[in-house]
Amino acid sequence: MAQRDIDRVIIGCNKGDEGCFTQLVDMYGRRCFGYFYRLTGNRDLSDELLSELFAKLVEKIGTYRGGSFDGWLFTMASNIFHDHLRFKQRQTRLLDEHSKRIMSQSSGVASGYDGDADKLQMALGELDSDVRELVMMRFYSQMSFKEIAESRREPIGTVLSKVHRGLKKLRELMG
Amino acid sequence: MDEAAARQTAEDIENGEKILGAYSAPQPDERVLAEVKKNVVAALRRRRTVVFQRRILGAAVAAAIVVVSVLTLIRYGNPPNSHQTRMVAASIPSRVWEGADDADVTVLKAEIENIQIELSGVQSDDSGNESNDIGDLETELIEVNGDMWKG
Repeated sequence: MAQRDIDRVIIGCNKGDEGCFTQLVDMYGRRCFGYFYRLTGNRDLSDELLSELFAKLVEKIGTYRGGSFDGWLFTMASNIFHDHLRFKQRQTRLLDEHSKRIMSQSSGVASGYDGDADKLQMALGELDSDVRELVMMRFYSQMSFKEIAESRREPIGTVLSKVHRGLKKLRELMG
Repeated sequence: MDEAAARQTAEDIENGEKILGAYSAPQPDERVLAEVKKNVVAALRRRRTVVFQRRILGAAVAAAIVVVSVLTLIRYGNPPNSHQTRMVAASIPSRVWEGADDADVTVLKAEIENIQIELSGVQSDDSGNESNDIGDLETELIEVNGDMWKG
C-alpha cells in the first residue's frame, strides 16, 4: 500500500474514525500475527498479543510523528512481546520446578511450539532469542537496518552482524 | 569489512530472507481479526468517554476554583484605602505618647480626632480625590508631629 494511503488512514485514526482503525487491522493484522507467531510458536498467544497491540494502537496513535509507520508499529509490537516475556519470567520465578515444566510446555514461548509447527518454526527455535527477534523484525516490518538499530538503540553494525549470523544459521538448519 | 565480505553478507541475508518468505507463517482466523476490530472499536469508544469525562471534570474544577476565589476575595479581601490608613497610623511614633505634657497631649488628641473625621470623610467619598485628600492629611499629620517635637 502506498505511503499516501497509509497517511490518509492514520489521519482518520487521529480523528477517531472507527473505519480507519478497522482498515489498519486489515492492513497489518496478518503481518503482525505472523511476527508474533514466529516469536512464540503459539496461535492462542499470538491472538492475544495481536489484540493487545491494536488496543495499544488506539491509545498511542496520537504519538505517531510521521516517518515509517511500519517501523513505529513493529517497535510497539516488539515492546508488547518483551512485556509478555517479562510477565512470563516473573510468573515462572514464582512457580516451583514442576509448575515451571508445565508452563514451558503450555506457553510455547521461545522453546515449545504448537503441534503443527512447521520446519522453519523448529529451526527458529534453535536461534538465540535476541537474534530470532531481530530476524523476525527485519522480515515482517521490512525496516532498514538503520531503522532497526535506532529502534533497538543498538549500533547498526551489531544489528547487521546478528541478523547475518541468524540467517546464516537458519540456512544451515534448513539445509 | 572489505567489499567482497560486504557482498557476501548481503547475499547471505538475501538468501536467508528467501527461506523466511518460502515458509509463510500461519494466518490468523478471520474470527480473530473480527474480534480484534470489535475490541479496537470498543477501546476507541472508551477513550472518547474518558476524554469527555475529563473535559467535564476539568470544567467543573475550573468553575469551583473561580467560585472559591471570588468568595475568598469577598470574605477576606482588603477594604479600600486600608493601606493608606495604616501608613498614617504608622507615621505617629510611639515616643510621642511618652514624656509629653498633658496640655500637649490634649492638643494632639484634638488634632488627631480632626484627622480621623476627615479620614472617614475621605473613605466614604466616591469622588476620586482620595489621593489628594490623603496627601493633605499626611501633611497635616507631619506638621502635628513636628509641633509636638518642637514642644
